[in-house]
This record gives sequence, structure tokens and C-alpha cells, in this order.
Amino acid sequence: MKIKTRQNTGLRQTVDFKTALRKDLKKNSFAYLLLVPVLLWYIVFCYAPMWGVLLAFKDYKPLLGFGDSQWVGLKHFKDFLSGPYFVRTVKNTFMLNIWGLAFGFTSPIILALLLNEIKAMRFKKVVQTITYMPHFISLVVICGMIHIFTQSGGILTQLVDAVTGTEHASLLGYSNMFRPIYTFSGIWQNIGWDSIIYLSAMSSIDPGLYEAAEIDGAGRFRKMWHVTLPQIRPTIIILFIFAVGGLMASGHEKIILLYNPLTYETGDVIASYVYRRGLQEASYSFATAVGLISSLVNFLLLWFTNRVSRKYSEISIF
Amino acid sequence: MKRKIVGLLLAVTMTIGIFAGCGSTPEAPSSGAAADTEKADTEAAGSETEASSGSGEEAEGSGAEDLTALRGNTAPTEEEIQLVNTTLNDTYLGDVFSEVIPNNYSAYPWKEEVTLDVWMANNSILSSVCPDLNDHRVFNQLEELTGIKLNFIVPALGEETTEFNLMIASGELPDIIIGADRYVGGIAAGVNEGAYMDLTDVLDEYMPNYAAWRNSDEERRKTTITDEGVVGGVYGIAPYNEWCWFGLLIKQEALDKTGLPVPETIDELHDFLVACKEQGYDQPLNYGSTYGQIFTGIINGAYGVWDWMFVDDNGKAAWGPGQEKAKEYLATMQSWYEEGLLNTDWATADFNQRMAEAVSDDCAVMMDSPDTMWGYWKEDNDIDFVAALNPVLTKGEQSRQTYRNFKKTGSVAAVTTQCKNVEAACAFLDFAYTKKGWEVYNYGTYGDVHLIDENGLPYFFAEGLMYNDPEGQPVSNLIWKYRIHDGADIRDEHNSNPLITAEGSYSGDIRDYWTKNMDSTLTMPPVTFTPEEAAREGELGTILSTMRNEYFSKIIMGQLPVDAYDEFLANAKAQGMDEFIALWQAALDRYNAR
Repeated sequence: MKIKTRQNTGLRQTVDFKTALRKDLKKNSFAYLLLVPVLLWYIVFCYAPMWGVLLAFKDYKPLLGFGDSQWVGLKHFKDFLSGPYFVRTVKNTFMLNIWGLAFGFTSPIILALLLNEIKAMRFKKVVQTITYMPHFISLVVICGMIHIFTQSGGILTQLVDAVTGTEHASLLGYSNMFRPIYTFSGIWQNIGWDSIIYLSAMSSIDPGLYEAAEIDGAGRFRKMWHVTLPQIRPTIIILFIFAVGGLMASGHEKIILLYNPLTYETGDVIASYVYRRGLQEASYSFATAVGLISSLVNFLLLWFTNRVSRKYSEISIF
Repeated sequence: MKRKIVGLLLAVTMTIGIFAGCGSTPEAPSSGAAADTEKADTEAAGSETEASSGSGEEAEGSGAEDLTALRGNTAPTEEEIQLVNTTLNDTYLGDVFSEVIPNNYSAYPWKEEVTLDVWMANNSILSSVCPDLNDHRVFNQLEELTGIKLNFIVPALGEETTEFNLMIASGELPDIIIGADRYVGGIAAGVNEGAYMDLTDVLDEYMPNYAAWRNSDEERRKTTITDEGVVGGVYGIAPYNEWCWFGLLIKQEALDKTGLPVPETIDELHDFLVACKEQGYDQPLNYGSTYGQIFTGIINGAYGVWDWMFVDDNGKAAWGPGQEKAKEYLATMQSWYEEGLLNTDWATADFNQRMAEAVSDDCAVMMDSPDTMWGYWKEDNDIDFVAALNPVLTKGEQSRQTYRNFKKTGSVAAVTTQCKNVEAACAFLDFAYTKKGWEVYNYGTYGDVHLIDENGLPYFFAEGLMYNDPEGQPVSNLIWKYRIHDGADIRDEHNSNPLITAEGSYSGDIRDYWTKNMDSTLTMPPVTFTPEEAAREGELGTILSTMRNEYFSKIIMGQLPVDAYDEFLANAKAQGMDEFIALWQAALDRYNAR
């Protein structure tokens, strides 16, 4: 690899990369030293364990060790892909994440836009504090509260009864209610926290832009649409790419706390299914195989979104 | 290196202790008490002229001074307390179980200086009463009595599984592992893969008491051996089948208000629930499970639709949800739900919601453990309750349930293949299966924690430490401090768990009543699978349980018609129900052939 550098003399000269690196290492040695712990962290915790994915192709037994465990090839992949609930769990995983993208991803942006318009600092701070709050409550407690709100006669159940005009037992017992409950409780938990990054992006917008827009006769809504949103667009897109990269991922804790056989149809995701299976046998290899599939799909999605984004908006993470 | 230092330190303290020869109280540090052991031993032996001690072929206890006077003694002297706590004299202990507990003490005190490394997991309660297992008073007493020193290796709280697997993977094993069934694939896999010692051949020689105790009963023998006939672990074995702990509980006031007797049949239960509803119990039956069945088969059992695998009357493995009368059962439950006899949210309620419903005025009948309901109903809300047997279809029929522990209980210990001194490790574990071991493991020290009643059975007396802890800890914690709550021993839960024997509580009586009056022969014994079978069993089991849970709960809730059961059964068959049953049948055959 060749790097072009501009010398003081103004002459263009190509310098060998190695030479350049050596020179730079000498010059900024302390800066590189600062980089070492980070590199080590990645090597030790992210790259070194990667060979572990080979477990997915073996019948791993701890005492026999990695080398002596039996090689079973694609057996675990076949087990996973051929199960009767494979399609359903994959679909549910996707759908919950799509709901999350559609509602959970957009709502902090909207909240941030609204907060940004508030001029009374005191009120703004109060709203922010209230919306952060649920983020700090333990998940188990949150789910306990959801159980109470949605039980027969609970606040939310009464609300749904009033809207639909029919009486419901616990809302958690209806499969068509699971996605809304899961998604909107997620918004309640995270909206305040997630909006912080957008608010910080908005605080760095040049006030001159708003003034210019005002002179051009823009009202509040126009300013929001033509100034604020375009200014925080890079932040939104980067976060969106990451969110898409997590489409196949699902935390099983909240699902397991909320779902039940009545809502398996919409609530049983890959992680919860594997969890139920894992209760009966500690199958490292099977879990690794499932994890590997999920990671591969996630990576493909991430790569694809990133490419699309680079092409159309020139913003990308790599 | 570390072990050596610990060993050295122990040796030094021992020596100092012996030289000092201090007369000490039972709570004294191990060094002093060890000296006492020797002193008391010589005394005991001396009094009986040429008695057994030293020669080692006869149980020492039998030849020692007669202490039967301690039975029923509520104020033993210092000297007597010393004698009980520091010698192997067991004459004051009675034969209270149907089988006599062995008492071969010929191996103790152990002939040489030895320290064994013992891996044992802690838990949050145990660590709150005993931060370091090396200081556990019961283990310290055991060290003195057996003359074998222990060095505990305790994994970090919450990291037990990880650390256990790391330890196995590292190949560096301690001498003894307590809780050895953590091994993936169980004890059999542990032996086959070379982690655990095969004890079969040395059992009679090194572990005479364990051998005698496990052979004292067919159930004990069968549950403590692998299908291949290998004794790979030292199992906790109870003197009896522990009580059934789950069943139908009825509020006394509901019986009073309705004026009806305790229901015996499904129809009577239905009528009782209807009567309760008329009396204002809005959701009379708290139907406590997310998929509509309980592992002891409270209502479904009447229809033979047991919760999961069971052994049918022909001795064959059978799958409950696939039984003939399943539709009848589901139709009944569906109509009960429609009539409003079940709690509306039975399928979704979590534990807290269920308990809130239980204590409310809506509930008349619970499906739960009497120990739990003693707390929520009686202690917190002063609601008295009585037990019902699992209802049957026709009056007079034998009530049945499917809980039975096959006398196997507590933890499993294993001697590892890297054990430095197998003989000593066996001797230490074997002590738990002697009469003295039964006393110390279950009841702790004599005089301050327990006394002996007229029949020679130890009990926790009101003035003792169990009820008067200097740190003021609750009894539910103290059962881990003054005794071994979960170990590889003769676990005498019914008599030695003060939570069960607590004064005034009738939850133990209820459990006893259930156990005596319900037939438990349908219970699937603790069979074992080969690793290949286990993988397939896990896979099919998850599919089948997902299916059952979904269909059964939806049918009972009325979201699906009863006829959807046919679809369920067809799906279950298509997904390998028969293969699943065949796996269990094979395992059951091997179990029966043990």
C-alpha cells in the first residue's frame, strides 16, 4: 500500500507505508500507547474467542475438551432448522424487532423534537426526568407492573374494554395483544433514555440556521422539518443501521417474563425457545449453532443496510 | 503449593492444640476439641477393659459406655454433652425408622493425617449464615469425629455452573465434589468420561455404611446406581419417601359457609365450587398453572391425563397429555372456566398475582403447597384451611397423585479420578450414613442445638440455638447454619426441618395425610438417559411441551374448541410422540433391570 504525502517542499512524493508508520510511531508513540489497551481488549474478548464458533459443529463435552469432542458437522444446524417451531420463532423474532423499529425507534426522535421546542427549561427538565425514570427500574419489576396493568380489571384492560366494547381477561392471554404490549412497554421503558443522544445532537445545531429560516418565513413546524431533522440525520441513520443489525437478536428475559402458552403464537422467539430447551439439557453446541445463525443473519442485514445507506445518503459505519 | 501451606497450618494448629490439651466447650475451635476426642476415646475404651477400640473390626459405639439415659433428658451435664459431641458413642440414639441405620465406626478416627479438597457450591442463604464453609460448625464437628480434614473450594455465588464447567474443562479436579450431578449428562456421563471414580468395586470395603444403607431397600439401591450397574456417586438417601408437597387446599370458612363436606369426586368439587360462587367467592378455584395441569395431577389425574411422563398400570411408560380421556378432561375444564369457577387470569398470572388472588375474598380453593399457604393464608391473614385428596371420577375410587422421590434426596457427592486418597474420601463420605452421621448432619451439635427425646430421636428444643440465634437470623436461614440442609447424607427432612416441625403448623400433617392416602405408584422413577438419548429427549420434549401448553391452555380458555385436541394429538404424533415415549420406555426398562 502506498500513501501519498505532501512534503514541506510542496513536492509530491510517495512514501512506503511501513516507513510512514514507523515515523509516525516514533513521533506519536504516546498516542499509540494509549491505543494498546483498546486493541488488547478487542483481541482478548472479541477476536480470540471467535474460534469458539467451531463448537457449533461439534458435540462439545467440557471434560473431553475441544479437541476430543465428537465432530458432528451440521447436526445442530439441522436440528434447529428442521424443528416444527423454527419458522414461527424466526418470524416472531423478526416481527417483534420490526415493531421495535417502527415504533420503538421513531418515538425517541419524536420526543426529542418535541422537547427541543420547549423553551421553559424547568418543564423540560421535569419531562426528561420522568421519561428517564423507567429505564432505571429493574426489568422484573417493570414486568410485574405490566402484569398488574393488564390483568382482568387492570387499568390497561379497562381501557381496551372501553375502546373495543367487549370484556377481556388478562390482556397477556391474547396472542394479538402480545406485540403491542411488548413494544409499547419497551417505549415506556426507554423513550427518555434513547432521546438523550438526539437531544445532544440537536444542541450542536448552529442557531444561525434557525434565524435564516425564520427570515425566510418558516414557522415552528417548517424549522423542525427543514433544519432540525436534516441536522440530526447522520445520528439517526447510524443508529438505524445498528438497529437493523440487531433484527435477529432478541433478549429473552422480558419475553420470558411476559409470555405464556396462550401467546406462544406471537411471543415465542428464538431465544425463548432455546431457553426452554436449555432448561432440560446444557447443550453448548446447540446454543452456539443457533447463535451463529442469528449472528450471520444480523451481519448480512447490517451490511446490506449500510450499503444502501452509503449509496443514497453517503452516511455509513464502514 | 497453597494446599501444602493450608495442610501445614492445620498440622501446626493440631499439634499446639494437643500440647495445650485445653478443656473446652463444644463451641471451642477445632484444635481443642480434637484433643478432647482423643481423650474421651481413651476414657470410653478404658472403661470397657479390652474393648473394640483400636482393633477396628467392631463398631466402637456398641462397646462404649451406655448413654441411653440421655433419651428424654432435657438437662444433660457438661460431661455428657462432651461425650456425645466428641466421641463415636451412639447408644443414646434410637432406631426410629423402619430400617436400622448402620453404625460401623471402625474407620474413625482416620488412621493418618489427611486433608481433602471438597468442591461445594454455596447459596445466598448459606453464605449469609456461614460466609466461609471451612468454618461451618457441622463440618468442623465432622472433621473432629472422622479425623479427616476438609478444605472447601467454593465457587462464587451465581457462578456455580460456569465455575463447575471450567473446573471440569481444566481437568484439575478436587478430591470430592458435592453436587456432582451438575455434570452435563449426569453421574453416568461423569464416570464414562473419566471425571468421577467408579466406586462399585471399593464400595463394600471403603464405604460399609453407605453400602449397607443403600442396600437396605430396593428403591434406595435402584436409584443410586447407573443403568450399567456402576455406583458413581454417593447419593443423599432419605429414611422414607418424602411427603407429597402439592395439592388441593380449601379455606375452612368456605366449607362452613356452604355447609358442604370436603369434595371427593370431580362432580362434588364442581358442586362445591358452584356453591362457593353463590356465597360470593367470585373466582372460587385458583387454577394454578400456566398451561392447566399440575405435576401431581390434581384434577387431570382423575382422567388419567397426567401432567407428563408416568408409569401406567401395566408398568409401561406413558405420556399424560396423549391419554384417552384427555378430551373429557379439557371439556370439563373449559366449561368450568366458562362458568367462572376458575380464576379469570389463571393462564397469565405470575406468583405474586396468584397469592394476591388467594388471600382475596374471591378465592376458596387453592392448588398449592401447604407450606406456602401456611405463610400466606394462616400466618399473614389468619385464614384456616384443610386439605382435600385429588378428586376422583367415581366415589370410592382410590385417589392418586404422581409425586414420589424414591427415597433419593439431597445432593450427590462424587470422588473424582484425581483424588489423592480415595480411601479417606470414601471414609469421610461414608460417615454420613452412620447413626452418628445422621445425628450430626441433620441435627448439629448436642446440648446447644438439639436434645434427644424418649425414643432416641433428636429434636430442636425451644431454648436451643435453632430458635435463639445470637445473630437473630430467622429459622429459614438457620436450617443452613446449625445443620446440613442439603448434603450427601441420610436426609431426615420430616424430623429435622424445623420449618416443617414448627409448633402449631399443620402443613406437615397435610402433607403426611396426602402421602398416606394417595397412591403414588404411577410416578415415573428417576431414570437416566444416555447422552445421545438425552439430546433427542430434550429436543422432542421441548416440542411436545410447547404444543401441549399451547393447545391445552387455549382450549380451557375457550380460545380453541375441544375438538382442537384431535389436531394436537395428530401434530404430536407427527412430531415424534411415539419416539419420545419409546425413549422413556427404554430408560424405564433399564431402570427396572438395575
